[in-house]
Amino acid sequence: MKSVKAAEIAGLQAALAAEHAAVYGYGVVGAMLSGAAGSLAHADWLAHQEARDNLEQMLLRLGATPVAASPAYALPFPVSGAASAVRLAAFLEDGVTEAYLGLVAVTDRTLRSFGALAMQPPANRALAWRGSTVAFPGMPTASTSA
Amino acid sequence: MLAASPTTLPLFLALSACKGPAVLSGPAPVSAQTQTLLHAVTAELNLIWMYNKTMAAYSGLGPALAPLLAEHQAHLGRLSARVVEPPGKKVPGTATARPAIDATAAGALAQLRDAEQAAVGVLLNRLAGASPSLAQLYASIATSEATHVTTLTSRISGSRTGS
Repeated sequence: MKSVKAAEIAGLQAALAAEHAAVYGYGVVGAMLSGAAGSLAHADWLAHQEARDNLEQMLLRLGATPVAASPAYALPFPVSGAASAVRLAAFLEDGVTEAYLGLVAVTDRTLRSFGALAMQPPANRALAWRGSTVAFPGMPTASTSA
Repeated sequence: MLAASPTTLPLFLALSACKGPAVLSGPAPVSAQTQTLLHAVTAELNLIWMYNKTMAAYSGLGPALAPLLAEHQAHLGRLSARVVEPPGKKVPGTATARPAIDATAAGALAQLRDAEQAAVGVLLNRLAGASPSLAQLYASIATSEATHVTTLTSRISGSRTGS
């Protein structure tokens, strides 16, 4: 991992930025949901915090400064109730999946494998929120339904 | 048709014994990356065959399995489009593995789930030798198939609890 180049660092930073956005977004999602859906949102929020912390540690070990979270994020559409909150959750997961797919394009084999494996949890969470699968998770067309 | 004259034939024979460029030799060897891509195409064909057979045997599973089958057909289309057909090597068009479908619907679902899980592992093992864009395609398809595992597992659990 010591020979990791700028492209690899940039890929990790992009994944971290997506995780920051997801942590923020799930704050909005969770505020709109209750019961089982609220519990699911809380669990997913925690999962993104854990992934964020892991990426920060990876970047620090590589001698890079992890990108910071923005104070606020623009939502892709108005979120005013449970239905739009569920759509936002799926949208956030698609964004994270796409960011990890970016890591798969790097030449470092370890990071490539890490990115591919890291796509699976957000893709499965997107499935849970959306209720259906997509043919090409992480590819730009996957999030068009969000 | 050209006929070899008594004067040119010895010259031709002499030239063909030379160690020059093998113009008339067999097809060039297929690159490792293309070989891997052809294997990925065959793997999708095998999964599609299993889905079709399962849906034919258990029509009640059709509504649940049809979307997953459609995604495999999309995978096949995207993978096949990446193949630059090597000279003398045909792009696979039929399944090579045709296992017997389980005698129960739940068993057949488990069979599909296991095949999907195996496909995920194989695709992830193909990342290292692939070009960046092909690696991304393999990773995306592997992720899709991982969500199929989740969907099928949930379906199996539902059928066991009667939901």
